[in-house]
Amino acid sequence: MSNPVTIIMIEDDEGHARLIERNIRRSGVNNEIIPFTSGTAALKYLFGKDGTGLVHKGNALLILLDLNLPDASGIDILKQVKDNKYLKATPVVVLTTTDDSHEIKRCYDLGCNVYITKPVNYESFANAIRQLGLFFSVIQVPPAAT
Amino acid sequence: MNTKAQRRRALGQILLLAAGFSVLVAISALSVILVHEARKDSGKVVHTVEVENQLSTLLLQIRRAESSARGYLLTSEPRFLTEHESATATILPDIDKLTRLTSDNPVQTENARQLRPPVEARLAEFARAIAFVKRNDLAGGIAMLREAGAGDSVQKIGELSNAMRAEEDRLFALRTATADRTQQLASAVTVAGSGLVIALLGIAILQVRRSSRARDDAETQLRDNNINLETTIDERTADLREANDEIQRFAYIVSHDLRSPLVNIMGFTSELEELRGDIFKRIATLARVQSATPATADNATDSAEPVLEGPDKQLSEDFTEALGFIKSSIAKMDRLISAILNLTREGRREFEPVRIETRELIEGIVATVAHQAAEAEAQIRIEPLPNIVSDRLALEQIFSNLIENALKYLKTGVPGDIQVRGRTKLGFAIFEITDNGRGIDPKDHQRIFELFRRAGTQDKPGQGIGLAHVRALVRRLGGTLSVASELHNGSTFTITLPINWTIRNRNTQS
Repeated sequence: MSNPVTIIMIEDDEGHARLIERNIRRSGVNNEIIPFTSGTAALKYLFGKDGTGLVHKGNALLILLDLNLPDASGIDILKQVKDNKYLKATPVVVLTTTDDSHEIKRCYDLGCNVYITKPVNYESFANAIRQLGLFFSVIQVPPAAT
Repeated sequence: MNTKAQRRRALGQILLLAAGFSVLVAISALSVILVHEARKDSGKVVHTVEVENQLSTLLLQIRRAESSARGYLLTSEPRFLTEHESATATILPDIDKLTRLTSDNPVQTENARQLRPPVEARLAEFARAIAFVKRNDLAGGIAMLREAGAGDSVQKIGELSNAMRAEEDRLFALRTATADRTQQLASAVTVAGSGLVIALLGIAILQVRRSSRARDDAETQLRDNNINLETTIDERTADLREANDEIQRFAYIVSHDLRSPLVNIMGFTSELEELRGDIFKRIATLARVQSATPATADNATDSAEPVLEGPDKQLSEDFTEALGFIKSSIAKMDRLISAILNLTREGRREFEPVRIETRELIEGIVATVAHQAAEAEAQIRIEPLPNIVSDRLALEQIFSNLIENALKYLKTGVPGDIQVRGRTKLGFAIFEITDNGRGIDPKDHQRIFELFRRAGTQDKPGQGIGLAHVRALVRRLGGTLSVASELHNGSTFTITLPINWTIRNRNTQS
């Protein structure tokens, strides 16, 4: 990637997180990946201590989001990110087990950029993540709004 | 209110009516008898009066004969003689009449009979006196008459007539009393009867009012019960719906959450597999280094299987086998979870009733399975089918599942023959899908409709979901699904669906 994009991975299942990270690395993406296993910790990081998101002003972020979190709804996090004036341009990739069409539509309505259903078949899973990694390596991520 | 009391009441009403009727009949009969009796009594009274009258007439005639005879004796005028003769002419017939009238009473008959001789004697005396006058012996006539006037026959006539009168007076009193009594009796009977009828009427009115009150009470209770029942049904329906929703949500969440660890298991199993490759490659290398063979294979590519020998090879195979079992189990579990997810998703889908050309729909399904049918050398015959109003997607799933099953479980080596028939009955359309396949053992007829259960030889892929799904769909459409089959003799699946399915149908039935 041209500019140092930080990947924020919000995923409560550490196994999933590990698999995702491994496969992203395998596709040749070497950006920093910051994992969060709870929504609260992720929100704290994203919006900073003042809760405005100002801390990330000028940073290029990419969010990988699982919808089924124990302490917060992924939808909620998505909404907050897309409502924040600094973070709203940040691409959000929803990567979750939910394949309910209502849920998918809702995420896109809220401004999610990519919605991926985790396939149980590991080959497909690994493939999907690697392709996602390839995708990461070509997309342009804008820095958080100034 | 129990039936016994009702029967008793009905019986009471019948008895009451019968009693009223019999009282009326009795009163009428008694009245007729009493009126008849009264008429007889008054007839007797009249008869007595008649007898007395006759007696008076007789005595009057005798007196008239006597006085005219005396007049003749005194004046010798023939006027008196004619009168005397006319009087005497009626006397004897009068006695006869009196005798006839008193024939019912032996005492009076005797009296009348006894009356006759003195009257005749008296008449003879008159005749003799008149004969004296005719012979101009006036003095002899008077003397004779005087003598006779104080004589026996006059006294006898007086006595007898008095006796008769007394007797008739007694009879008159007696008969009058009887007539009075009869009349009193008649009026008493009438009064009593009327009273009884009025009393019965009163009881009847009371009973009618009581029974109508009871009916009103029963109606009120029935209405209350109906309302209660409806409320209860509504409550239960709401409860059931809630429970059903709960189960759906539960199934959805469970299957969802089960998937998450499965991704890990599968993922790390794959990682393990890769590790296995690395490990055995290293083992192979190490083995080669130990045996100091020329490292000709060193430049082999990463993907090549390392060449192993003896126990190392055995170890590698065991490893592969274990991984294989893990992976196939994961795949199976994933299919089951997906099936549950699909079922819950189906359960939540809203049905939309539309008019469906059933034949067209089935022909569409047959076209999609044409390839399988050709492989199985099976023909699918569609007979005339009734059109219905129902949910199109659900109906498609029902029929395609059943037709696919029929194709899937044909007897090997026997050309398949699948038949789709339809008819209507009492607002329901009945569809039958008959095949000549391997059939289902009757003991498995219930089992095949259960989720994840299958029957017979397990030589075909499948999760045991199709029929459970079909049955759930048919039920949601307000119908039933049943099977008739014997092992080796084909099967017939019968679907009964309402011809006009509406959302309301389902709501009343769910």
